[in-house]
Amino acid sequence: MTDFLTLVVVGLGTYAMRAAFLVGKEAKPPALLERYLPHVAPAVLAAIAAPALVAPRGEISLTETLPALIAAAATWLVWGKTQQMAVALIAGLGLWWLILFGLSFVS
Amino acid sequence: MTDLPRVRPVSDGVRDALTVVIAYIPFGLALGATLASLNVDPFVAWTSSPLIVAGASQLVSVQLLSEGAAPVIVVLTALVVNSRHLLYSASLAPYWRDWSRGTRAGGAYFLADPMYALAIARYEGKAEDSTARLRYYFAMSFATWAGWMILTGAGVLLGAVLPESLPLELAAPLTFLLLLLPTLKGRPAYVSAATAGIVAIIAAPLPLGLGLIAAAIVGMIAGAMTERMQAA
Repeated sequence: MTDFLTLVVVGLGTYAMRAAFLVGKEAKPPALLERYLPHVAPAVLAAIAAPALVAPRGEISLTETLPALIAAAATWLVWGKTQQMAVALIAGLGLWWLILFGLSFVS
Repeated sequence: MTDLPRVRPVSDGVRDALTVVIAYIPFGLALGATLASLNVDPFVAWTSSPLIVAGASQLVSVQLLSEGAAPVIVVLTALVVNSRHLLYSASLAPYWRDWSRGTRAGGAYFLADPMYALAIARYEGKAEDSTARLRYYFAMSFATWAGWMILTGAGVLLGAVLPESLPLELAAPLTFLLLLLPTLKGRPAYVSAATAGIVAIIAAPLPLGLGLIAAAIVGMIAGAMTERMQAA
């Protein structure tokens, strides 16, 4: 029961953060933040993606980092050509598997 | 810009959601399986999905509970891990301005990482009225939410029998890269993304996901500075 109630409180706190600037009488971001808001999306999304792209399985090394970065570059290229998220994701993942498969023979 | 041809916010929303849910399959199943393997009642562990709707902090919370950490520690830790949601809230406020208060309160519940990324990409990329924005957001976020409930639930149930056939660790980061790409419009966006990415890699060893929020803040400042220099 304590476990469940703890999760409820975490959920309420998380909801409070999500709702912070959205549930007032008017939806209004703080004036202080105004200048920085256009940059939230690229900054946060890059901050989420980058560490996992250089260390997909938790370690930074030539054989881990390089294949992942090549796959990321391929994903970017395919997305630029097709604008299709799903297609680009499959292309990137597929290339990553190919490289790992090739490496498994070398090592 | 009112009479835009072929704008289908609901079906677009569901389509975008499906793409993300498919990409989330490995992460959702693995998270569910991990939750079930810990020293917490599996069903209670799964309730973190509807209660918290944020994978990383669900894992952190249940992990800490299974280690017998004090509830107050669990709560504080999870909330620090989730602090980026404050930024999402502020970032979407201008686009939700015309919605009723109740609608905004409901929408806030669904505001997790992929929902934010898809919403901001749509809002910045398409000039739609606020009804279309609302339809897109709720169709997309409800479908993504439902997918997350199902995936984590399936992971809890199937945990032990999941095959370890294909490495899928790159699916989630590539998805976030794909959510990032549409936001890269103009030099300030590139600068803030590059700066945040580099800081996040350097700061990755920091506890509580603090590297993420530090990187986001530094990236935002770098983006704003670039914008200023361009304007000067």
